[in-house]
Amino acid sequence: MPILSLPNAKHLLARTLFGFSKEQLQQAMGYGSLDVLVDQALLADIKTPEAPNPWVSTIPAQVQQDSGDAAKWYRELTYWWYNRMFSEGLSMQEKMVLFLHNHFSCERDKVNYPQYMYQQNQLFRKFAFGNFKQLVKEISSDPTMLIYLDGNNSRGTGPNENYGRELMELFTLGIGNYTENDIKQAAKVLSGWQVKGLTAVFDPNRWHKEANLTIFGKTAAFKVDTLVDLIFEQKACAEFICRKLYKAFIYYKPDEAFVAQMATVFRSNNYEMKPLLRFMFLSDHFYQTPFHASRIKDPQELMVGSLKALQIKVPDIINLYDMAKLLQMQLLQPPDVAGWPGQRDWISSTTYSYRGGFTDSLLTGKRFNGTTVTGKLDVLAYARSFPNSEKAALFVNEVIDSLVLFPISDAKRQFLLNTLLDGTIAANWSTYTPQADARIVRLLKAIMRLPEYQLN
Amino acid sequence: MKKQMNRKAFLQQMAILSGGVGIGLGTVTGKAFGQIPAAFAGNAEAGKVLIIIQLGGGNDGLNTVIPAEDDLYHKARPNISIKKDAALKLDQGMYLHPSAVGLKKLYDEGQLCIAQNIGYPNPNRSHFRATDIWNTGSDASTLWDEGWAGRYLRTRYPEFPIALAKHPMAIQLGSVESLLFQSDQGGFSTVFEDPNLFYQLVSGTPADSDIPPATLAGDELGFLKQIAAASVQYAGVIRDGATKGKNTLTYPTSNLGRQFSIVSKLISGGLETPVYLLNIGGFDTHANQLTQHANLWKTISEAVKTFQVDMDNQNLSERVNIMTFSEFGRRVNQNGTAGTDHGTAAPMFFIGKTVRGGLIGANPNLKALDNNGDLKFNYDYRQVYSTVLRDHLGLDNVRTQQIFNSTFERLPIYRNSPDALPEAVTIELTAPWPNPAIDTTLLQFGIFEEAYISLALFDLQGRQLKLIDSGLRKVGSYSVRFDVNGYASGHYLISLSTNRGGRVTRQLVIQ
Repeated sequence: MPILSLPNAKHLLARTLFGFSKEQLQQAMGYGSLDVLVDQALLADIKTPEAPNPWVSTIPAQVQQDSGDAAKWYRELTYWWYNRMFSEGLSMQEKMVLFLHNHFSCERDKVNYPQYMYQQNQLFRKFAFGNFKQLVKEISSDPTMLIYLDGNNSRGTGPNENYGRELMELFTLGIGNYTENDIKQAAKVLSGWQVKGLTAVFDPNRWHKEANLTIFGKTAAFKVDTLVDLIFEQKACAEFICRKLYKAFIYYKPDEAFVAQMATVFRSNNYEMKPLLRFMFLSDHFYQTPFHASRIKDPQELMVGSLKALQIKVPDIINLYDMAKLLQMQLLQPPDVAGWPGQRDWISSTTYSYRGGFTDSLLTGKRFNGTTVTGKLDVLAYARSFPNSEKAALFVNEVIDSLVLFPISDAKRQFLLNTLLDGTIAANWSTYTPQADARIVRLLKAIMRLPEYQLN
Repeated sequence: MKKQMNRKAFLQQMAILSGGVGIGLGTVTGKAFGQIPAAFAGNAEAGKVLIIIQLGGGNDGLNTVIPAEDDLYHKARPNISIKKDAALKLDQGMYLHPSAVGLKKLYDEGQLCIAQNIGYPNPNRSHFRATDIWNTGSDASTLWDEGWAGRYLRTRYPEFPIALAKHPMAIQLGSVESLLFQSDQGGFSTVFEDPNLFYQLVSGTPADSDIPPATLAGDELGFLKQIAAASVQYAGVIRDGATKGKNTLTYPTSNLGRQFSIVSKLISGGLETPVYLLNIGGFDTHANQLTQHANLWKTISEAVKTFQVDMDNQNLSERVNIMTFSEFGRRVNQNGTAGTDHGTAAPMFFIGKTVRGGLIGANPNLKALDNNGDLKFNYDYRQVYSTVLRDHLGLDNVRTQQIFNSTFERLPIYRNSPDALPEAVTIELTAPWPNPAIDTTLLQFGIFEEAYISLALFDLQGRQLKLIDSGLRKVGSYSVRFDVNGYASGHYLISLSTNRGGRVTRQLVIQ
């Protein structure tokens, strides 16, 4: 089994949490071994959090749209989710919630009512470490999904194919593992649902009238549950889901041999997530050096992670909410039903420059457009939390190593030291000199604008 | 899907970078980059601009260009068909969506060409795969990881990425770079939302000469550094272009209107960028589609119309052409939720002064559907792309063929297309007099049917040297005196063409 070394711990936390502070890294090291860390902290069941607000149980109605309440509540829901990310500790539950949100991608603009998106978000939390097959069954009549992929009001006699197609193409099997006819037949099985009030109701009168249907060559009187069972019997299914996990947590170009190993574990554990995640995060494969820092941070990892690393206690969540849109990862509003593709798709000349604008804002207290950012970094306190804060060269190295996972060359370290000293000599450095805070801000800006900072 | 720039090329680029730019935190000017001038490989027509609008989600072609006289259409869509009386009449029994009023006006002026039933064999109905196919120009069964525009730009800018062109090689308004501009040399496009903001945000990005290690993580770092370098290079050029350029009228406040307003400023500000990508989403109309679809076409129509007038006002409309595409059309039959599911062939729009206005191709055949209940295509979408590359962007035959690995018969979309029907009876151009010409020569022409015309001087290679006269001309006789001073002695061509595809060419000798 791989060992709990400092590089391995950083690699694990960077991939499974939304960043981490120096304290959290120490805390993780304190578990002594990787299996104890994974079992007792990373995959520990934690309590489902309280609802953000009583509105979650009010009956959806048009008046909420017209009055602007729905928009306000979507904001509250998103803030609430950010607060979950900040208080996740060493549990990867919230990372799994985001993974599932991205996998079963639904857009708030089409769903319209935040009550439904809240329900779906809690469904993801319930199944974060749970049974994936059961989740697929439940999401097939989840109000958010019914609305988003047009299962709502779909009648068996002229079914809407949207959900049936994406269920196979994007949620379970992948393209090429079903026929157009499989989709048409499945759409009949999946019909008959209507969203009413806070839940979805099945009306047999709106269902198809055929005695039997043939799907994947099997003829039967399918219901949603037996249809999903049949889909999970297809060989492609476990591999498709494991490949997605591999790309999210290990490397964006999957190693098919390891994906096959994961799929075997997944099948033999009846599609339970926890044994699969345990297998993945205790494998030698996951910790191989080439994978370290080979992933481009997603915008939430960049934003939440920067705040955690800088130990900013009261983050400006409005800043996160607004910047997430510009960085192309507004929570609850993925770009389409395939979700966010990730890795290089995060980066264009636009988003790359916004990333720099965001990290600058934590240091200057101003956004790129001049808006004030609250919870600005206490520069000197942060600097003095490093053991060698008064020794310039050591201090710079400690800061780099706490913020950047990619190996930084000596030449670049020297450049960053010069940035801090700004013409003075190292021997004169102290956090107690006048202008020390401005110099530290310049150093931090430079580090966080390095392309290396975007990798985890 | 994307390939990274190969390592050798990257090292070369970084070597050039390190020649002039050390590690530094200030905004780095582009001086350190090798620059290639705006002279192009091949026979590219300098100054031509292609604006591509991507209609994301799969536009319902049948409710856009409507066979409103076909009973089968109304039968297939009892709740969502658009009636003849409500729609805007085109030709051959086809009608335009009622909210596309501006486009209808352009159609009547001969500035809108609609190619019907565009698709490809074994069409894919997945949004993602189908979009990739349209972006790469591949067969349904072939996976390519370079965009067709990326391959075109690679022939046009062979030095990239070792040297960056003076102006952005492609511009995409938005945030997520499209596969369309990817090539095995890296992405060609600069992506931004607003010129000034882009410039401001890039300030402070360090450029450095460290060569990334040959590791998995190093490859990703190389990718990030390439984006950073191009951003630093182009942010100033784009801002300066936008500041220098202008809009001559107010654009609609829609997102697409805003995108067109920026493109107008950049073209008018002198940017030599040949390809722009704009986008508008929301076409995945599975349920209750009527209102949403109407709003989308209203938005497109208003933005495009405004842009065309603006280009006209600035005498830029001969250079610029707009093309639309979408990943697929939609099913002929409506579904049970007053919408339409994923389908196949659909029309494409071409807008500009250089197109041959009207419809191309037969109307959708609702009797002969494929076994899925979808339309069969008439023309391959790569015929369209090949035509745009050859007749608008001026790429030669051989290179066009290389881009698609195959020859595709061109469509008569553009007035200069040799396949366009002669229309000698509606226009006449008499031989210039005097000829040979020493100082000035008199060009006389007759218009027998009202049309948009252009009268231009060409060299014998077919390159346009001077647009002498253009615009809407009523029936009548016209004469224009043309000053030949400043042109080298030799043989030239004077050509009169109309938006309906007519063209008459006369030889002119300048002494």
